Amino acid sequence: MRGAVIAGMVGAVIMASLMVAGVSDRTAAQSPFGDPNAEPAPFNPQMAALMSMLIQPRHTKLGLAGNAENWPLAGYMLKELKQGFAVVSKAVPRWKGLPVPDLVDAAVSQPLTLLDYAVKLKYRRQFDEAYESLTKGCNACHATTDHAFVVIKVPDASPFPDQEFAPQR
Amino acid sequence: MSWMSSPIRHFGRVAGAVLAITCAVSLAAWAGGAGFGDDDDNSEEEGPSYFGFVRDTSGATVPDAKVTVGAKNRGGVVTRTDLLGTYKVPGFGKEVDPKDVEVSCDKPGYKQLRVVRRSSPSSDPKIPIETECTLQRI
Repeated sequence: MRGAVIAGMVGAVIMASLMVAGVSDRTAAQSPFGDPNAEPAPFNPQMAALMSMLIQPRHTKLGLAGNAENWPLAGYMLKELKQGFAVVSKAVPRWKGLPVPDLVDAAVSQPLTLLDYAVKLKYRRQFDEAYESLTKGCNACHATTDHAFVVIKVPDASPFPDQEFAPQR
Repeated sequence: MSWMSSPIRHFGRVAGAVLAITCAVSLAAWAGGAGFGDDDDNSEEEGPSYFGFVRDTSGATVPDAKVTVGAKNRGGVVTRTDLLGTYKVPGFGKEVDPKDVEVSCDKPGYKQLRVVRRSSPSSDPKIPIETECTLQRI
């Protein structure tokens, strides 16, 4: 009799555990992307997202503007690109332990300065050289951070069909 | 009674095992124990890694400089700076005191002027020990 009671209690505990596990599974299965009733989380994009949002499109637009010799637009995109690097350096000061502001400085500071001169002087040849140097800096930094497979290049076409890059007379 | 005790004992053993497994699985799930850590994260065993720039006296980075990172009585590692003028060396082991590790740099046409170690901003073992080696043209 005592044995039967113990067996019954053990069975009840097992059932309770299985029910709890089942409930957690159902909760987790609502959405793999999270709880719809949770408080909105602060938007905290990390390095890859910041590069895709703030750096790569601005690098592209700067190249397209320079290629079209649209100097006002090139100057604007250059300023935006510099601000993008500043935001990334502040948002992710260390990435995989490495000092992001120092890496950015080593990779792009000099070409950005040369680009600034080129845009102000409206000097296409210097722009092309400095832009090439900037692009090499991007790739050197990717190599340093073990992302050499992310290869940036001078854009050969516009991915922005809704934007005019030629100067407006 | 003895004819019943054996099946009950057997049932008890099986039930106990099932209960133990169920609890273990539930606890692992509750604790988020599904293993999201980096597979190659062995920083705890290795000790801090070493990272830094080699620059010239103007502050420009120097690619392809030879960098030697040596631990006292243990030999050292020789590497070269990349296009960005940086070097990276993995940790020597937890038993090596980073204070016993010295960094030097060299490149033909230059001599080493100074090596400055940055004060560690954190005790996080994933953050490397940083040094900046300055070369002067000769």
